[in-house]
Amino acid sequence: MLQIGVQTKNIVNDKCPQDGFQMLKCTGFSCADFSLNGYLLNTDLYRANVNKFFDQSVAELEQFFLPHKKGAEAAGITINQMHMPYPIYVPTGKKELNDYLWNEMAPKSMAVCKFFECSYIVIHGFKLARYLGSEEAEWEQTEKFIDSIAPIAKEMGITICIENLYDSVGGHLVEGPCCNAKKAVERIDRINDKYHAEVLGFCFDTGHANLVGIDFEDFITTLNHRLKVLHIHDNDGKSDLHQIPFTFSKTRENTSSTDWDGFLAGLKNIRYKGVLNFETAPVLTCFPDDMKEDILEFIGKIGRYFGGRVV
Amino acid sequence: MIVSCFPTGIVNFERPGQGIADIKKAGFTDVVLDFSMCCTDADLEYVGKKDIRRRKKTFAAENPKELYEAMAPILTKCQSEKVAFSFAIAPHLRRDTQREELNGLLKELAEECIRICGNVDCRYLVVRPLFFGIPEDAVWNVNKEFYLSLEPLAKENNVMLLLENQCKSVNGHLVRGICSDGRTAAEWVDCLNAEIGEERFGFCMDVGGCNLCGQNMYDFASELGSRIKAVILRDCNGSDENSMLPFTCVNKRSSQTDWLNLIRGLREVGFDGLLVVDFSDTAATFSPILRPALLRLAKEVADYFKWQIGLENLLKKYPSVVLFGAGNMCRNYMKCYGEKYPPLFTCDNNKALWGTSFCGLEVKPPENLLDIPGDCAVFICNIYYREIERQLRDMGIKNPIEYFNDEYMPTFYFDRLEDGGNR
Repeated sequence: MLQIGVQTKNIVNDKCPQDGFQMLKCTGFSCADFSLNGYLLNTDLYRANVNKFFDQSVAELEQFFLPHKKGAEAAGITINQMHMPYPIYVPTGKKELNDYLWNEMAPKSMAVCKFFECSYIVIHGFKLARYLGSEEAEWEQTEKFIDSIAPIAKEMGITICIENLYDSVGGHLVEGPCCNAKKAVERIDRINDKYHAEVLGFCFDTGHANLVGIDFEDFITTLNHRLKVLHIHDNDGKSDLHQIPFTFSKTRENTSSTDWDGFLAGLKNIRYKGVLNFETAPVLTCFPDDMKEDILEFIGKIGRYFGGRVV
Repeated sequence: MIVSCFPTGIVNFERPGQGIADIKKAGFTDVVLDFSMCCTDADLEYVGKKDIRRRKKTFAAENPKELYEAMAPILTKCQSEKVAFSFAIAPHLRRDTQREELNGLLKELAEECIRICGNVDCRYLVVRPLFFGIPEDAVWNVNKEFYLSLEPLAKENNVMLLLENQCKSVNGHLVRGICSDGRTAAEWVDCLNAEIGEERFGFCMDVGGCNLCGQNMYDFASELGSRIKAVILRDCNGSDENSMLPFTCVNKRSSQTDWLNLIRGLREVGFDGLLVVDFSDTAATFSPILRPALLRLAKEVADYFKWQIGLENLLKKYPSVVLFGAGNMCRNYMKCYGEKYPPLFTCDNNKALWGTSFCGLEVKPPENLLDIPGDCAVFICNIYYREIERQLRDMGIKNPIEYFNDEYMPTFYFDRLEDGGNR
């Protein structure tokens, strides 16, 4: 049976991280996606409002996250994946900001990942196609960044995972970086060959894929073994809502408008053995706090249902 | 580049006189032969069902041979008005159809469309791929057989068959369907042409379909390249399939279709085929009283796309160019085209800039334009186009005056000059 995970945002807090991990265990999860991005928010970065969190030394960061690590261990939760803060490059930002993200935040995120003994760290590719003219030119910049942390990844035994993203055109969410599976395959293989290690893999985000009409089964099947981690969540095909699978419908028949059958068929095709990880933190703020455990249990049940269909 | 117009929403196919006349008066000289006007996807859903005879206008759907008769009024009217047909669309099923048994009928309809196209010298016919009830791993082989079966008739009638990017319905949510991957679509076209040893198959890029699937249209156009023979320009909000006039589907002062990547892509591949504007849903909602004005706007919009896509061709046309304006637009010209089409200089009305250098160009007073060679074009790099053009003509400048525009540049700077508006 595949393991089930969920992101730690809105569950695990810094005050008493052990309680959050314990809640995960009690509600049926064995894994967690550590929300490192919560310590340097994208909304703040776009406003050039950078906090001092990553000014800390690696030793200080390890000290800060020690209770989290112990809490997870005590609860029997494996932190199998985490999310690096994003964006890594702010096109309208000052050089100092972008240098900081690249040279301070990113390597320290890798160190935190290692500290948690976590195998996968998800990054966001650069969103620069509008300026640079093409996705290829945009990818060149992302690849430069990957090249800057790939040696660290190799040394630490971590796989960096690129994720399919969206962009916005007048509020209409359209294809962003890493939405072409064939290109992703070529790039991942080339980079891994270059480093003689599995430094790069893919994180398939169901919600982002749904927003831009990607064929789930085809995309996952094309990625094959390069698919390492998942961000499972649902939306209405218009907004990035991060809701529970099977939530949305578009017809009077009230059948799911997200292709979950295609998703599961894809995972089955490639014999996916990774974690079925849910990126559904917003669900926990939608429902009353008193229902948090019920909601987590329900998400976990969906995970087990998925697991039964995939294996 | 030929500009054509969908008659749907404007022309009543049984009584086409007024609609065709309005289209012609707006400046269109080419109209789409849209066979789904008399054989709609809804008609096809009724084929074989008991109540079909209760529905009007469904006869062609059951009897492909009646297509010609059904389209006769529009064919006759266009011939008498000297409006050409360069592009046609064969009847097709609804995206959410469950009628897999109609694939044979679709073939018969496509064949009849080919014959009619041959009769009216219509060069291109879009025939959508067969999709419903075909297992994923058989899609290519089934369609290969389908398209190749149409080829002899297409050849006989001198018609090029166009494949088109499709959406598929996941319980009402439209996602990427057959030929929506540019590389795969290019392979399909190439394989079909290789099979017959000539270019009988091409591609029609449906912008609305791309937009519904949030696709990167630059990549899509680049991957298909010269296989793209026609582009259907239509706007929508990205989730509901509608055919709206480009630039009308907006949200908070921004368009919801990625025109930037579309124009970038078509410009890069040197697209010079058919530009087909489809605003049938917009037209249908306008009062018939307002439609002539809407049609004139639609023609202007189509011409604008033609101009944007062909902007580089316009630059190529002149042996030398000078610019008017020393601000952001001039800066963008120099970034994207300065090396390939270097201007002699730029000029500006701002006296303070005269004699200075901007992006490697000397900034001169407008009066210097009186001394440039006769075949040198002046490209206005300032949004006050008409005002500046008037100024130059009033100065007695006889040279060609063109508008440059940086809304859809191949690349952009990360910043804009803060004093750009004052330069």
